[in-house]
Amino acid sequence: MSVDLRVRIGTLELPVPTLTASGCYGYGTEFEDFLDMRSVGAVVLKSVTRKPRLGNATPRLVHTPSGMLNAIGLQNPGIDWYLDHDVAKFAALPWKVIGSVAGFAVDDYAYVCERLAARPEIAAIEINISCPNVAHEGETFACDPHLTEKVVRSARATTDKPLIVKLSPNVTDIAAIARVAEAAGADALAVINTVRGMAIDIDARKPRLGNITGGLSGPAIRPIAVLAVYEVARAVKIPIIGQGGIETATDALEFLLAGASAVCIGTANYADPRVPEKIVAGIREYLARRNLRSVRQIIGEANVGFANSYQKEGDEG
Amino acid sequence: MTAHAMQRRVHDAHVLDRTELAPDVVLLGVHAPEAARFTKPGQFAMVMLPGGENAAVALGIYEAHGDRVSFMFFVCGKRTHDLARLHIGDRISFYGPLGNGFLLDDVHSGDVAIVAGGVGIASVLLPAQALIARGVTVRLYYGARSAERLVDAQRFADAGCEVHTSTDDGSHGYHGYISDLLASASHTPTLILACGPTPMLRATARVGTERHVPTQLSLEETFACGVGGCWGCVVPLTRTSAQAPSFPPIECDGSDVVNARICAEGPVFWAHELRW
Ligand SMILES: Cc1cc2nc3c(=O)[nH]c(=O)nc-3n(C[C@H](O)[C@H](O)[C@H](O)COP(=O)(O)O)c2cc1C
Ligand code: FES
Repeated sequence: MSVDLRVRIGTLELPVPTLTASGCYGYGTEFEDFLDMRSVGAVVLKSVTRKPRLGNATPRLVHTPSGMLNAIGLQNPGIDWYLDHDVAKFAALPWKVIGSVAGFAVDDYAYVCERLAARPEIAAIEINISCPNVAHEGETFACDPHLTEKVVRSARATTDKPLIVKLSPNVTDIAAIARVAEAAGADALAVINTVRGMAIDIDARKPRLGNITGGLSGPAIRPIAVLAVYEVARAVKIPIIGQGGIETATDALEFLLAGASAVCIGTANYADPRVPEKIVAGIREYLARRNLRSVRQIIGEANVGFANSYQKEGDEG
Repeated sequence: MTAHAMQRRVHDAHVLDRTELAPDVVLLGVHAPEAARFTKPGQFAMVMLPGGENAAVALGIYEAHGDRVSFMFFVCGKRTHDLARLHIGDRISFYGPLGNGFLLDDVHSGDVAIVAGGVGIASVLLPAQALIARGVTVRLYYGARSAERLVDAQRFADAGCEVHTSTDDGSHGYHGYISDLLASASHTPTLILACGPTPMLRATARVGTERHVPTQLSLEETFACGVGGCWGCVVPLTRTSAQAPSFPPIECDGSDVVNARICAEGPVFWAHELRW
């Protein structure tokens, strides 16, 4: 039996529900020799800012139990250089790319978003209001409903392309922030960014990361992420892209059942670059075994009292 | 497909041999004919762990011959501990070969000093063999904590290197840093290649500068992806370097520096182009 794995994020149609996470996967070309890229529905690109940024001092990475800390610090060439040198290359890629925008002020987001979204190579825009690794500001947007509202509204005004807002787990009530983002015009939510963390070198007697603090990713944060998706799914009607520690089909299915319409794979690509391929095969097998025709049938099924957006629209594909 | 296609891929291999060269220093030989064929001196691989819960480990490719490549590593931390538990016949997967290796295309004569500290030795056998095959004289300067940790030095002598050793505790060879032994050598090499801990690399770079010898350093940093996808492994490099990635000048900084990825633009850089 052929199984339908297509999902929709706003107006964006994806052939499979597996994406690769922002900042983790380059443009996709870095990994294409290692797997069948048809298992990657879209590559979410590294976040880009208004001005170029050299990023944080090294070490930027620390391996921790079942995960890792990173503090890259949004190293990127800035939107001008990016548009002139990088974006044109995306046209030749056989996979879809989703642009990611980060900023330090409300008008940064609107400015970068408008310029990036204007390019046909970019299928959708994710706004990263939840980077934990830049001095002050970065994450405050996702921690403050008022700022979330302003950033999302101003970014929304710049484009008709699907607008995904990436939320932080480092908040008291993620569902409240999710509602604000939805009301301000988000088409989808990415849940979650990394969890703030730290590691200390007991021999050197100092923090292991150049930036002192970092963002924890990988299987260590998976249950935190599953709960966040579950709570956000109950609070909003727009689709959710779940992420945080997904490395097997079982993990991806947990997120789908909690209410995510798609998932992102980040850190697990570093354990095995074939993970997206294995996840797609595993989801297909799971559905076929249960005589389910479409992955859309299971979205939110474990979320009691919640009807996912596909079911709400009566879309059984 | 990129230009690397065919050459870099996932290899599903199995362990052919396992040797404990010293306490906590393991040499794993694996069956991977294609990797053996395409590996260039100084390249590395990302070796995946049996459990899959943690990121792959970046290991220099020590030997590459026939159907076999080998990895030498020090056991330090959970991930290398898990790798050390593999037995003959066990499956092991890795992706690679990765990185650009040493820049040896133009080296056909002269004499080269190869400086290795500790596990840095794992990345310099292939360059030593390649240079010797071209008729280049190779002197190995090999430093370790103790005599016990000076693993496989004989291997380099057998390959035709003149071997000079040092230990931190004086239990073998020169008592002190290998870079000091290099500095005190009466002989001035035409090229220096080095791999090892960062302080050793910095000291070796200073020797290169003082003696006016071009010096290539194979850098160490914590990797996540190993393929240029995460920007976690950077080193400041002058913008004029042929290895500099595409990046605009940062005006506020007033400098000519760009952060290059050690895994993708390196791992080997010209010492005089680093701004670290
Ligand atoms: C090295 C690294 C760099 C990242 N860079 C970004 C980034 O630039 N923008 C962003 O929105 N998220 C970034 N993230 C967060 C990931 O996109 C993802 O949300 C998070 O790592 C959780 O998923 P995972 O556990 O599968 O990695 C980064 C994560 C890692 C590990
Ligand atoms: S380890 Fe990811 S860019 Fe080098």
